[in-house]
Amino acid sequence: MNPGNNSIVFHGDLQQLLNKVETGEMIPKLQASHAPMCKFFTSYYVISGIRHVVPLVHGPTGCPLYMSDFVRTRECCEIRGVPLEPTACTSLNESNIIYGGEGKLLEAVKEAYAKYHPDLIVILSCCCSGIIGDDVESIAHEAEKLVGCRVLALRSEGFGGDFRSGYEDAFKLIMDLMEPPEKKMKGTINILGARWGPTPTEFNWDMDEIERLLGEVGIKINAIIAGGCTVEQIKHAREVELNASWCFDWGQKLGDLMQERFGIPYSNTGQPYGPEATKEWLLGVATPLGMEAEAIKVIEREIKEVEPDIKYLRKALSGKTAIIEISEFPGPIRALSLARMAEEFGAHPVVINVHPYTIKERMPSIKFLLETGVNPEIILTKGLFRLGSFRSSKETEDELEEIVKGYENPIFFGNSGRFPPCPVVNLTLMNPAFQPQYGFRGIKNIAALVRQALENKNLPRSRLFKGMLYGTRTN
Amino acid sequence: MEQEPIKEPAAPSASSSEACTDPYLRCAFNGAALTALGISNSALLAHSPQGCEYLVNNAFASQECDYMETMTLCTKLCVDEIVHGGEDILARTIREVKDLPISALFVLSACGPEIVGDDIVGVCETLQPEVKFRLVPIECAGFRGSQYDGIDIALDTILKKLVKDNVEKVPNSVCLVAPHANANPTWPADLAWVKQVLSRMGVKVVATLTHRTPIAEIENIASAETSLLLSHDAGQKAADYLSSAYGIKQVCKGIPLPIGMTNTHRWLTALGERFDALKTTEEMVAEGERMVMATCRRKWPMARFLYRTPAAIVADATVGIPLVRFVTEEMEMTPELVALYTSQRPVRELLERELQSLGLNPKVVYGTDVYKTRKSLQEVRPQVVFGSTIERHASEGLSVAYVIEVVRMVRQFRMINREYFGYNGILNLFEYVQNEWTMGWRSKEKRYGAKW
Repeated sequence: MNPGNNSIVFHGDLQQLLNKVETGEMIPKLQASHAPMCKFFTSYYVISGIRHVVPLVHGPTGCPLYMSDFVRTRECCEIRGVPLEPTACTSLNESNIIYGGEGKLLEAVKEAYAKYHPDLIVILSCCCSGIIGDDVESIAHEAEKLVGCRVLALRSEGFGGDFRSGYEDAFKLIMDLMEPPEKKMKGTINILGARWGPTPTEFNWDMDEIERLLGEVGIKINAIIAGGCTVEQIKHAREVELNASWCFDWGQKLGDLMQERFGIPYSNTGQPYGPEATKEWLLGVATPLGMEAEAIKVIEREIKEVEPDIKYLRKALSGKTAIIEISEFPGPIRALSLARMAEEFGAHPVVINVHPYTIKERMPSIKFLLETGVNPEIILTKGLFRLGSFRSSKETEDELEEIVKGYENPIFFGNSGRFPPCPVVNLTLMNPAFQPQYGFRGIKNIAALVRQALENKNLPRSRLFKGMLYGTRTN
Repeated sequence: MEQEPIKEPAAPSASSSEACTDPYLRCAFNGAALTALGISNSALLAHSPQGCEYLVNNAFASQECDYMETMTLCTKLCVDEIVHGGEDILARTIREVKDLPISALFVLSACGPEIVGDDIVGVCETLQPEVKFRLVPIECAGFRGSQYDGIDIALDTILKKLVKDNVEKVPNSVCLVAPHANANPTWPADLAWVKQVLSRMGVKVVATLTHRTPIAEIENIASAETSLLLSHDAGQKAADYLSSAYGIKQVCKGIPLPIGMTNTHRWLTALGERFDALKTTEEMVAEGERMVMATCRRKWPMARFLYRTPAAIVADATVGIPLVRFVTEEMEMTPELVALYTSQRPVRELLERELQSLGLNPKVVYGTDVYKTRKSLQEVRPQVVFGSTIERHASEGLSVAYVIEVVRMVRQFRMINREYFGYNGILNLFEYVQNEWTMGWRSKEKRYGAKW
């Protein structure tokens, strides 16, 4: 297969790309026009997934902007059935920057408790409070004596780390709430790595599919950390027999830490995309609990139900080249999980444009996937490294269209914002009609999406949407 | 039409003494970004950690920028730059983008670099000879104040840095100030209405500060005879500066913006008097009022059934203050709570005058936050709330019949911008009331299932 494209800057496999990033041959740095979330954002994401928490932002009012509008109101209140809960802020001003904000913070904790009666207060420091050296941990310690709930502090200054460190530090902080176990909860697990809050109320999501499958086997869940769990559930988190993750990438750090500190085993499995990975995921949880037999029964029953879809996917994908490009939604780890699934159904996966920055930021997950045998062909193009928006990059669109022409029998897995000359499987998470993508119900949905792509491949694509995304200029 | 400030002591700001708030307003950095992104053929470089870029993205959306024309960049400061200073990375980034085909690059500094003392002005001066576009540094750290302070800071820098003073005055001309300091989520429609009205009066708009404004317009702003402030929340300092530096007189000062029939009439008359276009004003008022009444006669707005229903207004001053009269007069409801995001003296004075003139005595909260709003709603228990999606959720459990989402974040997506100003604005607001009324009546569940 020869993609025959002179805009390619890397063509090899995942292992080779990883080596280039590790040795510094490929610099894992994003262009100036690309800014992922900062540590503060991702810390907030995790903390806001705890019920009746006051995230107390120790900073100016800009820091909670995205949080109060997007996470709290739009995502949690509007979509996830969560009541309006506070996004509190100390609103630091110039005077606080000069004279320090510790006194104000202590008052703010007391006020927050009096106003909101929360189960937990988490102080989140921002750039300002971090630079001026406010001792948020000591204030939290002092304040806890004055209020009727736990008060924790998290150093989440935006400059203090990349988005990943915010997730990890927040999950680590949550461990401080876990109390020594009084008993063991038989056949019970925690699901790790969730954030924001519970799943949407109106549509089934990947986490719902996981909960359903665990329920079928008879496995109970103590807490989904932090997917709308209570402080009480977190307190009892050490009483479970096993931890598992809905997404290896998000749950791995907390899983490893709980294993190391509390001796609770962590089920190391990838994302449940396709029959094999789903089977592995479920057995990875059930076997250590001694529930392998029940799990196998469920798997057999579920496989039987989706047998026509599995047959269809084998027939549809066998001998094809699956070009997979999932940069922003749903994300690179899903792209690699999909590569594995495509291979399982007889396609040859080629993952396109996974930025070296992503490889660096998700190194543990990438290495884990390589260990499990996921090592697809990877292509990076020049457009990936240009200034501008990833999602609507004319350069990468042109390059993709060119690359696809170089493969025989291609099928594109990505989202409908791309216009390659081949069938397009629209895997965006923005279309709730075909969720979940995980598990056995995911197989049904992905089969439906592949069917749509293949059966409608000759229908005209939207000149309107293409013009919107990439402009109408020809050069 | 200009009025003297009232003499009685103003209500104290309710926000000053609290350590823990749940604010509606964003920081100065956000306001400055919102202002800079209103200048066309430019780019914005945030000298900040990467998270602040999301404040820029929010501003980008509000100014309805096109990513094919406007690029946003970020220096993505990390611990190293906070410890050792970020001037080098700023210079590197400017050099990296020096080939961008733009006329100006706005460099905005966030909290971190300002605290550690990065000299963005110095870096821009040093690099100016190396780049073809103008470098405009704006020191607007988030801790300098609210988004409205950020708008004022950015306007101040832009005017002092870009305006040429050796230009001739254009007769019958105006510059429009701070149209973007308006919580109508589709505020560009308000601006468009204002421009249409001015055009009909034969008034030339020299520049808009800021929305899709070419730099050349800003350079020539001193040629304007007058300024017209389109916000009660920000921009007054810019209008004052234009007056003192270039003799540009402010029109329509101290009267509520044109939301509702009476406000629109009053505002248009003030314009007509200044520009010697009272005849045109009278025509516009007569046509507009006739159109609104005829449309209402044909469509029958249900707002008329809300006669003297207790109402709350939770908004910025730009929308909130004019709404008081519109809700009281045109819709015949009774405002029992007015909660405004801001608390500056001119805002308080303007609202007090309106309340006095209408004979209203509602609970007033200045500088409200989400907590104070919720508590005020609990206390006042209005039946109708004019506010945002936040108030919809903050009203849960309080038996509020209708929450009419008119400001900030609203549930309904609008592809076409809708103005609140002027006569179509009245119909737009009636439409929001009507839709909320309709939704309020709609059955949430079926009493039994069908047989087929």
